[in-house]
Amino acid sequence: MRAAILTDTTKCIGCSECVIACKKVNHLPNDIPQRWDMNDGLSADNWTSVIGEPADKFVRKQCRHCLEPACVSACPVGAMHKTELGPVIYESAKCIGCRYCMMACPFGIPRYQWSDPVPHVRKCILCYDRIKEGGQPACTEVCPTKATIYGDRDQLLAIAHQRLRENPGKYINRVWGESEVGGTSVLYISDIDLSFLTYGEQFGKMPLPDATRPAMEAVPFAFVGMGAAMAGLYWIIKRRMKLEAERADEKAGGKPGSEE
Amino acid sequence: MDRVRRLKLILWMLLGLAAAVAITRFFFGLGATTHLSDATPWGLWVGFDVMGGVALAAGGFVVTATVYIFKLDEFHSIVRPAVLTAFLGYVAVAVGLLFDLGLPWHIWYMTIYWNPHSPLFEVGWCVMLYLTVLTLEFFPVPAEDISALASVRRFLVKLRIPLVIVGIALSTLHQSSLGSLFLIMPYRLFPLWYSPILPVLFFVSAIGLGLMMVILESHFTAYLYRRKPETKLMRPLGEAAGWVLILYLALRFGDLAYRGQLHYLFASAWQVKLFWVEIAAMAIVPLVMLWQRQFRKSSNWQWATAAIATTGIVLNRIDVGGLADLSRGGSLYLPEWTEIVISLGIVAAATLLFLFMVEHFRVWEHRPADPDADPRKLPEFNKVGFTWLGTPVIAGRVKYSLAFVLAAGFGFLLLGSPRAASMGATPTPTHRARGNVGNIGLQLAAARTGKPAPATAGTGVLYLDADLTNWGVTFYHQREIDRNGGEKSCVICHHMNMPHDQESGCYECHRDMYLPTDSFRHDWHASPKGANLACVQCHERGYPRTSAHVKPCSDCHKDLVPAGATIKITTYIAPSYVDAMHTLCIGCHVKVAQKENKPEIARCAECHKGKLNFAAAQNYLYSRHAPAGRLVVLPPPKVSEVH
Repeated sequence: MRAAILTDTTKCIGCSECVIACKKVNHLPNDIPQRWDMNDGLSADNWTSVIGEPADKFVRKQCRHCLEPACVSACPVGAMHKTELGPVIYESAKCIGCRYCMMACPFGIPRYQWSDPVPHVRKCILCYDRIKEGGQPACTEVCPTKATIYGDRDQLLAIAHQRLRENPGKYINRVWGESEVGGTSVLYISDIDLSFLTYGEQFGKMPLPDATRPAMEAVPFAFVGMGAAMAGLYWIIKRRMKLEAERADEKAGGKPGSEE
Repeated sequence: MDRVRRLKLILWMLLGLAAAVAITRFFFGLGATTHLSDATPWGLWVGFDVMGGVALAAGGFVVTATVYIFKLDEFHSIVRPAVLTAFLGYVAVAVGLLFDLGLPWHIWYMTIYWNPHSPLFEVGWCVMLYLTVLTLEFFPVPAEDISALASVRRFLVKLRIPLVIVGIALSTLHQSSLGSLFLIMPYRLFPLWYSPILPVLFFVSAIGLGLMMVILESHFTAYLYRRKPETKLMRPLGEAAGWVLILYLALRFGDLAYRGQLHYLFASAWQVKLFWVEIAAMAIVPLVMLWQRQFRKSSNWQWATAAIATTGIVLNRIDVGGLADLSRGGSLYLPEWTEIVISLGIVAAATLLFLFMVEHFRVWEHRPADPDADPRKLPEFNKVGFTWLGTPVIAGRVKYSLAFVLAAGFGFLLLGSPRAASMGATPTPTHRARGNVGNIGLQLAAARTGKPAPATAGTGVLYLDADLTNWGVTFYHQREIDRNGGEKSCVICHHMNMPHDQESGCYECHRDMYLPTDSFRHDWHASPKGANLACVQCHERGYPRTSAHVKPCSDCHKDLVPAGATIKITTYIAPSYVDAMHTLCIGCHVKVAQKENKPEIARCAECHKGKLNFAAAQNYLYSRHAPAGRLVVLPPPKVSEVH
């Protein structure tokens, strides 16, 4: 099974029980508005938020748990990694604090503990400990309207498409997260455009790790190639200079020139 | 050597300032010393210290290639300074990285935890290895004077060509991989900078920058030590850099044209202006200057050309590293002065090390001699300080130490404690409750006697919106009095009301509304402008002046807590505004929710009307919708409506 969440924004009443449940389960402290917060309600102490966008519509924001996560491919020490089950989790013990995952994430999800002298990256981990033992994430468990539900990704996709089919005109005919940047585990169906959950771009289908892959695959060849080219050039130039020196000496009738 | 000493004095001052900031950075974290945010997690320290530093140090591999591979022996004299610059540049990069990493003591984890898919992993490894190579390349220079190291030196000299080749290959990799870092952010980086050939662009511009940096450094040190400028030698380097820059321009614009992004050049975004400034500084202006006749003869002209080009290319690194993407992240990043000071401090340290090396080892053919450094020279009399400062060398040390310490002190002064201690909490503007509350006493009297209240009694209806977000509630004062049990209940809400003030606003104690605050203002009590009290008027004589040995407030403020109050003052720490409001409101809501079986009124959303992330979410919505139509839960009542 591939764990996933489907959020139907038309069912969300904005009660934010998911936010409270997330805070309780993950032992997150109260958050205070801080200088470095983004305007979406997420912070190191708040891993999911409900955005009222536009007015009277509610959209829950959380980590999308991409199928091919940019953060995982970016992390130089492998502190971020994609589990078999689906969640992208973070091992704080490995982290060096480079924040490349935050730069790489196309959804701008990972947050940093800027005020802490020993800071870590914080983000939703899809309640990995709970779902590992067969449970479900705290947020989907408490949702009073079942606006956000947990399940297998393929089944949830089927449910989403079924809802789109059965209610023509109610939704925008699209499942957000089905194929953008290679697909995400957190899916949305909605009656409003959800591109504000990202940097306001319409994403392509290419998984972002594929953008770096050609460059990274070229690395060994570049190293060996450059080394070989330099060694070859060195040899050729040295030999040519030696020959020239010999020729000059022959003309002058002297002895062969010696190296330094 | 006067110029050198003056420069060193300035560098030591910068180092002192940076030391103060460095201590603050490691004790209070990145939030207290940088302007980084969740929207722009990389800033100046990555853009300038790391990416700019690596690019500036490109002179090392370019010059070693020129001399040892291409056998252009006329440049042999600049190999040593170029390798030294590269070595110090990479040390500076490593130090800069220690400041930027959140957990710098984990930096070595890259050697045990591998993720070969990450360009940063590759950059890390290459920088480590190349730093080793540079150390081995440069080591023979200081080892020259030490006979015990002669065999090591001979071995390293034999190893030179393989070292040079490995160094070039490693440089190729990480100079380009710094560009690969950004390949994963097509949606973040502005299209004028994002390109699949970023690695190539970075590599080509690094070669140009390396050459320009060699010119800059040569002329700068020539000025500093009053040596003869190597104008003739630098000319071909400048011309080579020119060809590299032409290649760079062709690649960059060719790439934009090939991918059909040229229309962005005429877009109205401010990044476009940044792009043109960058291109002008890094390529166009230097190229024009290279073609002038002056470039052949004038060292100043060469110097200026190189300075403009290096500035431009470093600007390019800073742009890619964060400046060019800031509009996407939704917040404006401009470096904090503390970030700039750390960057300057690292440069200052590297420069001082360079000057030390140059003065003590044979980096150049001839070591610069300090005419004043003769130990037999008599000490000078300082006419300003009326002191004997010893020989110029000793005097220099005293001055440098003094500059360092004073600058560090000044740095701490500038940093101050509130910024570090505030942990980034945004102070929120606050306001008194608005509305026609009137005279509570008259209202109460009217309620007691059953007679209609006079006009001055007011309506007792308030609009509470202390944080000025336009999300507020109408507050019926009388209703709260009745609910809480009549006249004696005032202190339930007016919990620590200030003396002689019957309606103190929350903000009067909760000045930073999201953090617990100290409601006792010691500075005010001690200040001549305030209560003007001497220490002993509150603190007992002969005891430590702490809160444990102090008169209770009620000794002076007889009416601090009204008679019959239900609260007792045990601490002067006021809970945060959020906590205070939650305690005051939630209790009642929960009770009523149970009694009336209305669970929804105890939900957070009942007050936070769906804008669930508390003030942050409210601010967000407010900022989004304020101009068009204000989102107000309950509009502020107009006085006329209330009557």
